[in-house]
Amino acid sequence: MTRIIQLVLSPLIALVVGVLLLGLSRKIIARIHRRYGPPIYQPVIDVIRMMSQRSISHGSLFDLGVVFALAGSLVTVMFIPLGGTQACQPFAHGVLCPLSSSGGLLVVMYLMLLGPLGLALGAGDSANPNASIGVSRKLLLALAYEVPFLLVILAVMSHYETISLTEIVARQQQAGWGALSVPLSAVAAFLILPAMLGVRPFDLVSAPQEIASGPMAEYGGRSLALIKLYGATHLFLVIALFVDLFLGGGVNLATFLLKMLIVFMAVEMINAVLPRVKIEDAIKFCWKWPAGLALLQMAITVLSKSG
Amino acid sequence: MSAQGILITAFAGAGLSYALGLTSARLREVFAIVVSVLLVCLIAITHGQGAEHVYYPDFLGLDLVLRMDALAWFFAITVSMVGCLSVIFSLHYVRGKEKENFYYFALLLVNAAMLGIVLSGDLLSFFIFWEIMSWAAFLLISYKRGRALDAGLKYVIMSILGSCAMLLALLYLYANYNTLVISDLAQQIRSAAGGFPLWVMLAFALGFGIKCALIPLHTWLPDAHSEAPSPFSAVLSGILIKMGIYGFILVMYGVVGLKLLLEVGAPWLHFHTVLCWLGAITILIPTFIALLQDDAKRLLAWSSIGQIGYIMLAIGVATSLGLAGALFHTLNHAVFKALLFLAVGAVEYKTGGVRDLNRLGGLIRRMPVTFACALIGGLGLIGVPLTSGFVSKWLIYKTLITEGHPFLALAALVGTWGAILYVYKLLHNMFLGQLPEKYANLEAAPFSMQLPLMICGFIIVLFGILPGIPLSVIGGIVGTLGFEPVTATLTGFGPQIGPLNTLNLCAAFAGVLLVIVAFRGIAARPKPVSQDDSYAAGAAAPAGKYHHTVRFYDPLERMTGGYLRDWVDQFYLSAAGKAKGVFNGVRRIYTGDVRTYVMYIVALLTFLIFAHTAGWL
Amino acid sequence: MVSPILLIAVPLALAFLTPMVGLASKSARRYMPAIAMLFNFIVAMSLLPKALEAPIIVRTAGWAPPLSIHLVAGPLGLLLSSLVALIGLLVAIYGIDYIREGARARYDVLYTLLLVGATGVVLTGDLFNLFVFFEVLCISSYALVAYRGDSAGVEAGMKYLIQGAIGSSLVLIGIGLLYGTVGTLSMADIASSVGSVAGSRLFISLAFMIAGFGVEAAIFPLNAWLPDAHSSAPSSISAVLSGVAIKAGLYAIARVVYTVYGASSILPFLAVLGVVTLLVGEMCAFAQEDIKRLLAFSSIGQMGLILFALALSSATGISGAVFLIISHGLAKALLFLATGYMIYRTGSRDISSLAGMGKRMPIMSLCFTVGAFSLMGLPPFVGFASKFTIVRAVLGTGSTFFITLLAIGLIGTVIEGAYFLRIVQWLYFKPAPEAMPEQTEGRAPLTALVPVGLLAVLIVTIGLLPGIVGRALGPAADDLLDRAAYIQHVMGD
Repeated sequence: MTRIIQLVLSPLIALVVGVLLLGLSRKIIARIHRRYGPPIYQPVIDVIRMMSQRSISHGSLFDLGVVFALAGSLVTVMFIPLGGTQACQPFAHGVLCPLSSSGGLLVVMYLMLLGPLGLALGAGDSANPNASIGVSRKLLLALAYEVPFLLVILAVMSHYETISLTEIVARQQQAGWGALSVPLSAVAAFLILPAMLGVRPFDLVSAPQEIASGPMAEYGGRSLALIKLYGATHLFLVIALFVDLFLGGGVNLATFLLKMLIVFMAVEMINAVLPRVKIEDAIKFCWKWPAGLALLQMAITVLSKSG
Repeated sequence: MSAQGILITAFAGAGLSYALGLTSARLREVFAIVVSVLLVCLIAITHGQGAEHVYYPDFLGLDLVLRMDALAWFFAITVSMVGCLSVIFSLHYVRGKEKENFYYFALLLVNAAMLGIVLSGDLLSFFIFWEIMSWAAFLLISYKRGRALDAGLKYVIMSILGSCAMLLALLYLYANYNTLVISDLAQQIRSAAGGFPLWVMLAFALGFGIKCALIPLHTWLPDAHSEAPSPFSAVLSGILIKMGIYGFILVMYGVVGLKLLLEVGAPWLHFHTVLCWLGAITILIPTFIALLQDDAKRLLAWSSIGQIGYIMLAIGVATSLGLAGALFHTLNHAVFKALLFLAVGAVEYKTGGVRDLNRLGGLIRRMPVTFACALIGGLGLIGVPLTSGFVSKWLIYKTLITEGHPFLALAALVGTWGAILYVYKLLHNMFLGQLPEKYANLEAAPFSMQLPLMICGFIIVLFGILPGIPLSVIGGIVGTLGFEPVTATLTGFGPQIGPLNTLNLCAAFAGVLLVIVAFRGIAARPKPVSQDDSYAAGAAAPAGKYHHTVRFYDPLERMTGGYLRDWVDQFYLSAAGKAKGVFNGVRRIYTGDVRTYVMYIVALLTFLIFAHTAGWL
Repeated sequence: MVSPILLIAVPLALAFLTPMVGLASKSARRYMPAIAMLFNFIVAMSLLPKALEAPIIVRTAGWAPPLSIHLVAGPLGLLLSSLVALIGLLVAIYGIDYIREGARARYDVLYTLLLVGATGVVLTGDLFNLFVFFEVLCISSYALVAYRGDSAGVEAGMKYLIQGAIGSSLVLIGIGLLYGTVGTLSMADIASSVGSVAGSRLFISLAFMIAGFGVEAAIFPLNAWLPDAHSSAPSSISAVLSGVAIKAGLYAIARVVYTVYGASSILPFLAVLGVVTLLVGEMCAFAQEDIKRLLAFSSIGQMGLILFALALSSATGISGAVFLIISHGLAKALLFLATGYMIYRTGSRDISSLAGMGKRMPIMSLCFTVGAFSLMGLPPFVGFASKFTIVRAVLGTGSTFFITLLAIGLIGTVIEGAYFLRIVQWLYFKPAPEAMPEQTEGRAPLTALVPVGLLAVLIVTIGLLPGIVGRALGPAADDLLDRAAYIQHVMGD
């Protein structure tokens, strides 16, 4: 029974928190820009508004792609521990991670694909060149940040010698945060966070001024609402994963969310002040600094394990 | 049904289909399908049997043996299934083309020869069937003329080179053990020591590596796969190159054996480690080359090389999970690559031979079933969860990470992320986006082309959700090859191997999907609009093609294109060019002047006498 | 009982009868070579089982060795003479309609003589007769190469004659030297006494003989006559030259080296020479655009491989060599015969003129493909069985020297694959030229289809059931290897 509650709860948390973070993001940036900014619940209003509008459709995949993207990211959330320990039990299983026994980090990595892929397929179904260019950029950007991201994940998995995310979190709670035991990986992961989230300086996928919001160019109404929700879940997911990998997860949901908030604020600072880069530069950056650091960390990890 | 019966059916089927074709084309088509389906059934019912018997005593003093065991069955069922699907697909594909009789004969012959390879119980039969497969494949690759001829020659020359190496290797074994029966060899080779197994393995690796397109022996594949008729591309990519994989598994684990294998090579560099790294390179480079291809089949061909890299990597790791992953991925790759080649073939068939990714688009509106299947195949290739490709890749990553090979795992994972890019490019440029005007009234592919696609798609999803079905067979095979058997549940793995439960995943996904769809249902249904009715930031959509497909990954292409030429191929081609020059030079020995010739005779005589007086002879 | 001497006497008589038959009926004359060879084939096959047990020795009573016809019909000899008769028979049938120009009577006589010479070479038991039969073979070859009387033919014939004559004289000198040393010409006799004679003079006579026979055997660098001769001759002649004549030269070398001298020290040299011949032949063949020259060079390559296998000095090696002689004889005869009508059809010997031949001459093309595949050593054709035996023999020796040579030689196989498969592509996968020079007289008659088809069937059958000839190979190898037994059989009589 608690399992079912968890199954419902964790995507809900992700949606709610993700949407609020989106609102918070606009607020923070507005404040940095010395504006007042919209209310923090503005994204909720947006979603409701969009749901009430009638959209256009370019075909069934055009509509379904978005559904798959959102479904994929919501399922991913179920594989991510959202705080809680074995010792202190806010929920029966200790850790709020309903599908922890159905797959580990490898599954998470793959499931995180479904979002961009679903969106790309949906957007591709329109004949709009802006959408295709946006998708092309999105996939290239994904390739760019995945290389350091994979290095990071591999270093973490090699360090803890497991592919289970709950296991990794549990080990951190016993033996100190990942940010301390694999510091270079943590730095690399932080450097690619903006790219994974698609915020400045890496917001070239949905650059509204250049390519009319890229993949979203043709979307409106309920599909755009789903995309918004997908964006919120994705935001939640990436930051939650960072917290789980490097900041020891959370003893309970509250501390977990707090840690997420801190990471989010840091990312927003970068988002607020940096200009957009070109995709080539994004690839070069990702394959140079974060990848270099992560590689170094992985080499160190491997050597220390074998030595 | 014994292995012998299966082979007789297969070979007789090939021959009879030619004979029948002389009387009636329709009869031949029906017969070819009946034979292929019959073969699948015959092999299916032999599941679980283990037998070994001499079918040809005293062929050149050697007994030829057939055997049926778990490994052979696994490959045989894969071969017969993909072969059957490609025959069904061929019905419309070749109808009305020339040399149909030859086409069916060669296709069935290749399939029969491959069955022969996997059912061989001794290395001589193995070699004979191998050669038959090679030359029959050569004929089929050349079928489409034009550039296909060069592709065929390239293939067959490399293939002969590989065969020579194999012949040396297996006769080297024979010279030492006086038998070529696999089970006897496996018994006797245990006592082998020193460099002997290494030389044998290297020679075999050359032969198998060429067939399965391991870098740097891959250069025949992109040409051959893209120029062959599409149903045969499916066979080539789906199963023919897997024969190399079968060979590797057979020789490494079936003959040499795990214990000896781990010692082969220098103490600081083992044979299997080298194989791993070659596998890793074979994943990375072709994946990035595939990204840049504009020919749909060439893209898939490079992708095949990349996927072979996964399998080789997994074989080389020499762990039970790795081998299970390799076998499973072999099956998966056979299915989804066959599917993709057939899907491209269907498009090629309907559009009159177009496979240039820059000239297609929007075909999802005209060929929705083909697209849906291709999508499943593409997702399987990427290894998206709930497709079978995910489970096999998961096994490979898992073993790489837990055995402490994170760099190899990195290569594998980056290869997957590269695969997303090329799969998307393939699907997008063919099926999505703007439908060119000339294809506006295209009809869907005939049912005989859609059926194989649907079967493949079904298998991918089925094995993705219930991976326990194939894994129960694979786990047993791994057990027979000297490893700890892999025990899988129907839906994944228990905690001792690693948490994976695909059914939970599927249920969660379905649940979430339902909720979203219900939620979506609140809103009004969207209004369908034409493809030209799209947002262009205030400007009107231009006439003609405005869709973005050409140089789809332009930024990356500009960055990497310079490095990602096929250096190896260029090297071979220049070597071949040089060799031709040498051959022409050698020809000059025969000057045409009889005085020179007389001088040659005298020279030889003088040399003989001189050599004798000098004491050399 | 039938005596092996009939194998020589009857065809010889028929050869000289041919012109007389021609006086009676011109059409009957054309069948004479076929009749002669059919007779030979039947006789040779019927003798073979007995010879497998022990060689059949025939002496013409009372005459001293240099003059007597002294036959040793051992397993090897009879096996080869069966092959000669078989190929001779099939080519003779082919020739019935194929030869359309020139002096027909001379063709029939020379053709039969050539085969008589070849049969004699493989059956004879003494060196002088070896030389005589060899000359019969060579001289009829010279004439047949120039048979058409066109300039290319005559030129090739002349070149062949010059080199062949030098070769023959070297052989004669060699025999003379040997006779001077040991005082006998019976091979068995020499063999039994050769051990007692000091080395150098003996070796020089051997060198002369190798160089001399080597010309006919097409060993590099003595083979320069071959491409011209084989390509200029009519295809039926090319078929016997390639399928039979050059093998006779090789047989002579093997017999001399193994039986007469027992000279094992020269074998490594011969092996090297074989591999060089193989590579040079294949390389040159690759560079050819003329189909018949290509086939001729390919024969050189195969001869190199046979020589290499003969030089292995192991039972398997020699079995392999003999097997390859058989398989190459069948395949190369098939290829030349199939090419013959294709050339008639297009009027060109250019490989590119074969485009689309698969449609225009389906049976010929199919048989050509079978022959080419067999020659490359692809299963399930007979070439595979023979090449396999050779490779097995090499690895069986366990000697690094031979294995290295083999590895180098296998490159030749790759080159061979490249050019033969290119031709197969031309046959089947190149569109026929638009304006086809359709020559109706180029259609292959039944007399062409039957031999070509039979050869193809033989290639497949023996390929699938190598046991058919396999039984005879072992004794044939022993025939060469086991000197003592040879001496004992011949002298013991």
